[in-house]
Amino acid sequence: MAPPPAMPVADAMRPALPDGDSQANRDLLRVMEKPSLGYFGLLGITLLAMHVAGALWALMVYLGLGVAGYTHPIFWGAYIVTFVFWVGIAHAGTLISAILFLFRAKWRNAINRGAEAMTVFAVLTAAQFLGIHVGRMWKSYFILPYPNQRGLWVNFKSPLMWDTFAISTYATISIVFFYIGLVPDLAIARDRATGWRKVLYTALALGWQGTSRQWKSHSRSVLHLSGLATPLVLSVHSVVSWDFAMSIVPGWHATIFAPYFVAGAIFSGFAMVLTVMIPVRRIYGLERYITDYHFENMARFILLTSLIVGYAYAIEYFVAWYSAVEPEQTSFWLRAFGPYWISTWTMIICNAVIPQLLWFKKIRTHIPSLFVISTFVNIGMWFERYVIIISGLSREYDPAVWGVYTPTWVELAIVAGSFGFFATLFLIFLKLFPVIAISEIKELEIHAKAHGAGAGS
Amino acid sequence: MSELDRRDFLKLVGVGAGSAAAAGCSDHVEKLIPYVVQPEEITPGNAVFYASTCAECPASCGLHVRTREGRPVKLEGNPDHPINRGRLCARGQSGIGRTYHPDRLQRPQKRGASGELEDTTWEEAIALVAAEIAKAPQKTQVLGGQTGPTRGQLIDDFVGAVGAGGRTVYEPFAQEALREAARAVFGIETVPHFDLSGADLVLDFGSDFLESGPSPTEHAGQLADARAVDTHDDGGARVIAVSPRLSMTVSNADEWLSARAGTEGILALALARVAIENGAGDDSHRALLGGLLADFDAASAAKKTDVPAESIERVGRALAKAKSAVALPPGVALSSRRAIDTTGAVLVLNHVIGAVGSRVQVPPASAGAQPSYRETLALIQAMDAGNVSVLLLHDANPAYSIPGTAGFRDALEKVGLVVAFASLPDETTALADVVIPTHSALESWDDAQPRPGVRSIAQPTLRPLYDTRSFGDALLDIGRAVSPAASGALPTGSWRNVLEAAWADTDWTAALARGGVFTDAPAGEPTALSADVARLEVVEPKFTGSGSHTLIAFPHGFLYDGRGANLPWLQEIPDNVTKVAWASWAEISPATAESLGVEHGDVIGVETSAGRLELTAVVRGGLRDDVVAVPQGQGHTVGWWASRADEGAPGEARGVNVLDALPAGVDERGGRAWLTEKAALSNTGRSRRIPTQQTHDNQRGRQIAESISLVALAEAAHGDGHGDGHGGGHGDGHGEAHEIREPFDPADDAHADSEYRWGLGVDLDRCTGCSACVAACYVENNVPVVGETESLRVRQMAWLRIERYIGDGEPELRAGRERMGPNTESVGDTDVRHAVMMCQQCGSAPCESVCPVIATYHSEDGLNGMIYNRCIGTRYCANNCPYKVRRFNYFDNQITKWPEPMRLGLNPDVTVRGQGVMEKCTYCVQRIAEARQVAKNENRSIRDGEVVTACQQACPTQAITFGNLRDPESAVSKQAENKRGYHALHVLNTRPGTTYLAQVDRGEVEG
Amino acid sequence: MPSLLGVFEAPEPVADAATRLKNRGFSEMEIYSPAAFEVLDDVLDEKPSRVRIYTLIGGLLGVVTGYTLTIWMANDWPIMIGGKPFSSIPIYTVIAFELTILFGGLATLIGLLVVGKLPYGSFGKTDEAYSARFSGEEFGLVVECSDRDVAEVDALLRSHDAKEVSLVGA
Repeated sequence: MAPPPAMPVADAMRPALPDGDSQANRDLLRVMEKPSLGYFGLLGITLLAMHVAGALWALMVYLGLGVAGYTHPIFWGAYIVTFVFWVGIAHAGTLISAILFLFRAKWRNAINRGAEAMTVFAVLTAAQFLGIHVGRMWKSYFILPYPNQRGLWVNFKSPLMWDTFAISTYATISIVFFYIGLVPDLAIARDRATGWRKVLYTALALGWQGTSRQWKSHSRSVLHLSGLATPLVLSVHSVVSWDFAMSIVPGWHATIFAPYFVAGAIFSGFAMVLTVMIPVRRIYGLERYITDYHFENMARFILLTSLIVGYAYAIEYFVAWYSAVEPEQTSFWLRAFGPYWISTWTMIICNAVIPQLLWFKKIRTHIPSLFVISTFVNIGMWFERYVIIISGLSREYDPAVWGVYTPTWVELAIVAGSFGFFATLFLIFLKLFPVIAISEIKELEIHAKAHGAGAGS
Repeated sequence: MSELDRRDFLKLVGVGAGSAAAAGCSDHVEKLIPYVVQPEEITPGNAVFYASTCAECPASCGLHVRTREGRPVKLEGNPDHPINRGRLCARGQSGIGRTYHPDRLQRPQKRGASGELEDTTWEEAIALVAAEIAKAPQKTQVLGGQTGPTRGQLIDDFVGAVGAGGRTVYEPFAQEALREAARAVFGIETVPHFDLSGADLVLDFGSDFLESGPSPTEHAGQLADARAVDTHDDGGARVIAVSPRLSMTVSNADEWLSARAGTEGILALALARVAIENGAGDDSHRALLGGLLADFDAASAAKKTDVPAESIERVGRALAKAKSAVALPPGVALSSRRAIDTTGAVLVLNHVIGAVGSRVQVPPASAGAQPSYRETLALIQAMDAGNVSVLLLHDANPAYSIPGTAGFRDALEKVGLVVAFASLPDETTALADVVIPTHSALESWDDAQPRPGVRSIAQPTLRPLYDTRSFGDALLDIGRAVSPAASGALPTGSWRNVLEAAWADTDWTAALARGGVFTDAPAGEPTALSADVARLEVVEPKFTGSGSHTLIAFPHGFLYDGRGANLPWLQEIPDNVTKVAWASWAEISPATAESLGVEHGDVIGVETSAGRLELTAVVRGGLRDDVVAVPQGQGHTVGWWASRADEGAPGEARGVNVLDALPAGVDERGGRAWLTEKAALSNTGRSRRIPTQQTHDNQRGRQIAESISLVALAEAAHGDGHGDGHGGGHGDGHGEAHEIREPFDPADDAHADSEYRWGLGVDLDRCTGCSACVAACYVENNVPVVGETESLRVRQMAWLRIERYIGDGEPELRAGRERMGPNTESVGDTDVRHAVMMCQQCGSAPCESVCPVIATYHSEDGLNGMIYNRCIGTRYCANNCPYKVRRFNYFDNQITKWPEPMRLGLNPDVTVRGQGVMEKCTYCVQRIAEARQVAKNENRSIRDGEVVTACQQACPTQAITFGNLRDPESAVSKQAENKRGYHALHVLNTRPGTTYLAQVDRGEVEG
Repeated sequence: MPSLLGVFEAPEPVADAATRLKNRGFSEMEIYSPAAFEVLDDVLDEKPSRVRIYTLIGGLLGVVTGYTLTIWMANDWPIMIGGKPFSSIPIYTVIAFELTILFGGLATLIGLLVVGKLPYGSFGKTDEAYSARFSGEEFGLVVECSDRDVAEVDALLRSHDAKEVSLVGA
C-alpha cells in the first residue's frame, strides 16, 4: 500500500512559530518583551536607592557602627528589625508553592511564580543585614564552622548559629524550588526566543522537551520538595524568633514567639505579594490569569493571620500581667505607654485593626482597597519587629542603664536601600522569566478544554 | 658555595623567616629594640614600683608608681603612707595623664613681635627673665600655689637672693577660714586637721569631706573603719550631715539636716548649747551659755536655720551622749561672708563635745608663707597700679580661678614681664610673656608635708619626655643669671641636691624607698578656748544679688578647683550624684523647676550681681527649694580636654565657669567666700542635652542595691548562720522581709580540676560612691575615653560603673510613678545606694551561650573571658547581659580619641581593643596571670590577697575584696558567707561570682 | 528505522494510543507534552519514579551530619559555655533539622537531573521530532517502527484522532 505523504522534517522542526500558539504563551511571554520607559524609570529609582545604601554601608564599615543610632543598652537596631522583616516577607512564596501545593489548592498557580521569586529575593535581602549589622563584617566568616589552624569551632548553642543554618538552608531550598518550577517555562521561552535570550534560555532549560519521563520526575521532585519545604518554612521563622525568645530580655523571653512570628511572617508575606502583584497584574493586563478570585483568597489568608497576630499581641500582655514578674510587666507597660508608644500603636492598628475590614466581601474583592490594606500591613509588620526589639532592649533589668534609641538617617537610608535591592531584583525578574507559571496555567486550560470546566476552579 | 658557610646560611634563613613572620603578623612592622646595656632594676615584662607623692591636691597622698620598661603606667596608693594607707582617689589615679598629656609644653616660649607665643631656647628665656628681674628686683613678685616645704623654702631663698618684692601664695581652696577661726577660737594661727578614726558620731556641716575636702581618701578610710558593722555591733559611727544639697558626702550620711545655706554656725552653736545643757563640756563651756551661746536656743535657731527644733534638741542630746563625736566645718561650697565665724562656731562645738586634742588636732602655728586670698587681691592691686614689673607664676591658674571681677587679667596687662612656670598650658600661661616648661610631677623631685609628722617625697619615675626642667632647677638657673650676688646667695647644686640637703636629717635611701618619713604627729598640747571666742559674730551672712535662690558653687568631685578639667578620665567619669559628664549644669528642685516652667534638660539663666550664666537644668529632689547649685571647675578655654578642643572646637569653653557669676568674694576678714550670691533664675525657653549616664534611679525593688536595717541584721546574726531566710529591711521602712540570697555556692562555677574560682566582694556599706575604682579601672585596663559627643549617645566604655539608686524603689513602683530624671530623692532622705556594677563573672552566664563564635566563654578558674580577636560584634552577648556591663567599640576609640603621647601610658599587659569589638571587666585577669606566674616559679599556689584588682587597690574604704572562692579561708569566701551577702538580680539565677554586702540602714540618731 | 510522529490536542488520546501500541509490541516511543498530566506519567514506564530514593538518602545523610558535626565540634575542643553540657542534644536538633532539609532538597534536585536525564542533549539541540508546538498546547507521540509497520501505526494514531501524522527521520 502507499506510504503516507512524507512531510519534510524541516517543516516539522522549525516553523518560526506554528500559527495559533497557545494564548497563555503569547500573553505571558509578552510581559517579557521590550521594557517601557516607565520600567526604566522605576528601575533607575530602585538602583539609585540600592547604590546610595551601598555607599553608606561602605562608609559605615570604614568609620564604625557608631554612625548608627545605637546606645547603651540598645545594641540591636533598625538592621535587625529589617532583617526579621525581610525574612518574614520571604515566607509567602514557599508557603504558597509548597503548602498550597500539598493541599492541592489549584488557585495558587496564578501567583506562585511571583511569590517564589519574592521569597528568593527577600531571603537574599535579609541575609545581607546579618553582615551589615555585625561590628566587624570583615571577620564575619568566623561564624562558619570551617577548619582553621586555631582549632576553634563555632558555638552551636547560639541561636544566631541556628539562624545562620536556617537562613542559608532556606535560601538554597527556595532557589532550587524556584528553578525547578521554572525549567518547563524556560523551554517555552527557548522555543520562541531569538538572540541572546535564546542562548540564555537554552542553557537554563537544560534541554527540557516535556517528555513524559521528564514530567514524571519533575512532578515527583516538586512533590518531595514541597514535603521538605513545608516544615522548613515553619522552622525558619521559629528559629528567627528564638534569637529573641532564647534570651532573657523582658519582652523577648516568651514561649509563644515561634508560632507568633510564623503567623506574622505569613501575614506580611501575603501582604507583600498583594502589594507587588496588584500593580503587576494591572500594568501587564494579566486579569485573565490572576483573577479577583485569587486576590480574595489571599485576603482571606491575611484576615486569618491578622487574627492570630492580634491574639498574640493580646496574650503577650496577658502573660506579662499574669506572670507577676515586675520587669516583664514594666517592659510591656512601657511598650504601650513609654517612649515607644507611637510605634506600638502603629503596629496594633495596622496589623490587628485595619485588616478586620477584610471581613467584608466588598472590600476583599475591591482591588484598590486591598492594595491599601496590604501596604498598611507591611508598614505595621516592620513596626512590630521594631517594637519587639527596641522597646524590649530599652527597658531591661537594670534601670540605671535604661536608654532610648532612635535610628539615624544612615540606618534609614540603608533600610530604604534594601527595598531598592528587592525591587531591582524583582523588576529584572519580570523581564527575564515568566511572571506566571505558564505550563501550570496550560495544565488547567487544556484540562478545561478537554472537560469543559472553568479554568482556575 | 665556599663563601656561604652554614652559619651565614642559617642567619639568612632566620632573617627571611623572621621578616616573613613579622610581615604576616601585622599591617605595619614595628621593630623591637633590645637594651644594649640593660638597667639592672629593669626586667622587660616586669613592673617596677617607685614610691612618690601625689600632687593632685594638698592632701599629698603617698604613691606607688607602677612603671614598665621605664614608663609609669599606673598610680597606686602607698600602703606605708599614713594619709591614704595604700588607697588613691579618682583624681590621684588620673594624675598620670599630666605626664603623657598632648598639651605638654615641650620647650620654652616667649611672646614674639606678632604677639603670639613662640618657641625659644632655655638660654634666651633665662637671660630674658633674669635681665628683667635685674632691672628692678624689688618690683619682682612671685605668685603661686601651695608647695612642699623645700620648694617653698627655695622660692623664699630666691626672693631673698634676687631681692624680689615678695611672694604671695594663692591656693583657691586653701582652708583660710579654718586658719582664721583657729586663731579666733584657740589663739593659734594654724590649720587644725580632723581625724575620724574611732569617732562614734560625725557631724558634718557641709565639708564635703568625702569628695573635695582637705583629705578625702584619708577621711573616707577612717569613716569606713569607724562604722564597720562587722566590728561594731551597734553599727558604729553615725554621720549627720548639715547641707542644703544632697552631695555625695551627704548621701553617705545616716541623717540629713537640710539647714538654710549659711546658717551652719547658728546651728552649731544651738547644738553646742543643747549639748552643754545635757551635760557635755565643763565649767568653761557652761560659762558660754550666758555669753556666746546666750541667744542660740533651739527655738530661735530652728527659725533661722529651718531645722526643726526637735531635731536640734535630739542631735544636741546625741552629741552630749556620744563618747567620741566630732564636727566638721563647712567646706568651699558653704564658705559664706561669715565663713570664719561659722567655722569658729563649729570649732567651739568641737571643744564643747571634747573632740579638740583627739579627733581635732590643733598643730603648732604653721611656719612659712601661708596661702592668703587677701594678699593675692592686694598683689592684684599692686599690679594694677603698675608696681610690678616681673611676675613669676607657678602651680596656680589665677587667670581662671580668680573671679573676673577681681580684675586679675586686666592687672596682668600692666605687668612688664609675666613669667609662667608650668608643664601644661592653661588660661594663665596663655597670658604670659615667657612660659618656662617644667617637668610633670612624675618627672621631678619634690616633697610635701601635709601635716606635722608626715614628710613625703616625690621622685622622678621616667626620663623627661621633652626639653623641660624641674621648677626648682629652672628657678635656680634664673636666680643665678640675675646677678653674681644673687647667684652666691642661692643654694649650690641642682634642685635635687637642695632637696637632699633638706632631708639630710633622715636616712635618704630608706625615706626614698618608703616614700617619706612618717612619725606620729606630735600631740598638740591641750588647747583652751581663747577669750576672743566671745567676739565671734555668728549671724546669717549677707548676700548680694536680687534673686530668690541662693547660688551654691560647689567644687566638682573630680575637677576640684578646675585643675582636673584637662584630664580625660575626670571629665569622662560621670559626677557621683547627677551622673553628668563633660558638662556644667544647674541643680534645681522640682518645685523650683515647676515655678520656672522648666524640665530636666532645659536651659535656665542664673543671674547674680556679678554676672549671668546659662546652664542646663538638672532637676533633682535632693535640694532645698531656695537654692540653685552649680559645680565649679568647668568653663576652661585652654586645654585639649578642658576646652572643647578634643571635639574640634579649640578655644571654645566646655561648660561654664561659675566664678563668672561670683564677685571677688571676700569674707569680713579677707578670706575667700563662695556662698555670697542670691541668683535670679529665668527660663530661656531653650533646652540643651548634657551627657547624663543614668536617667533612672528607681531600682523598682529589683534587689540590685540592697539595704538592711540594723534590726534585720541582728536577726540574721541569730539565724542559722548561713544568712538564709533573713530579710533585707529597707531604708524607707516599707520593706516586707524577703530572701536576698539564693541557695547556691558560687565556688562551684569553675572547672572541676581548677584550684581557683575567682570571686569579688563589694561591701555597699563601705562604698561611698566616690568613683576611685572607676578611674583605676580606666587606667589599668586601657579603657577608651569616648568624649562628650559619644557620651551624649551614652556610649561610654566604663567596665565598672557606679549606679546610684534612691531607696529600693518599691514605693514609687506602687505609686505607678515613672520618673525620667534622676530626681527621686527627697530633701532629708539619705537612703541613697551607690552600687558598684561590673561584670559579675556569672557561673551560668547568659552572654556566653548566645555568642555564635565563642568570643566569650567560661575560663577554667571561673572567669567569664573575652577573646577580642574572635569577636565579630554581633552584640548578642550585651543584649543578654542583665547587668549591662558589656561595652561595644562603636568607633576605633583608641585611635581617634587617644592623642599622642597618651599611648605611652597604656598598660602593656592589657590588649587595646579595636573597632567593632565587645569588651568588659574580667577581674583584672592580667594581674591574676602575673601572680600565677610568680606562684608557678615558686612552685606554690596563689596566696589569698596576692592578686589585687585595680578597683580593689584604689578603693579608699576597702569596700572591695578579691580572691579565691575555692579557698574557704580566703577573705572573699568569708565575705560570700556574710550575713549581708546577696547577689544582684539573683532571681535570674546567673550564679554570679560577685557577692554584694547590703548597705546598712542605721536609722535616725537617737537623742 | 523510521519514526512516526502523531500530533494530538489532548493528553488522553495520546495515552490510549501509546498503550495500544505498547501492547502491539512497539517499545521505542516518546511522548511530548506541554504540561504535566498524570495520565501520561505511567504510560511509558509503570515503575514509580526513583527520585524519592534520592530524597530519602539526602535527608538521612543530613540528620546524621547535623548531629555528628555539632557534637564532635563541641567536644573536639571542649570549652565551657554558659554552664551548659558540651553535647546538648536538644539544642543541636535545630541544626540537625535544618541540615536534613538542606541535604534532602539538594539530593532531590540531583534526583531530578539524573532520573529526568537532564541536562538533555547537546547544547541547543533537540530531538528531531520535537518542535516548538509541543511547548505550545499540542501533544506529540513518536513511534519508531520498521517500514512495513508504518501504515499500521499511522492508522492507529489517526484512529486516536491525531491531528496529523508525519514521518520523522526518513
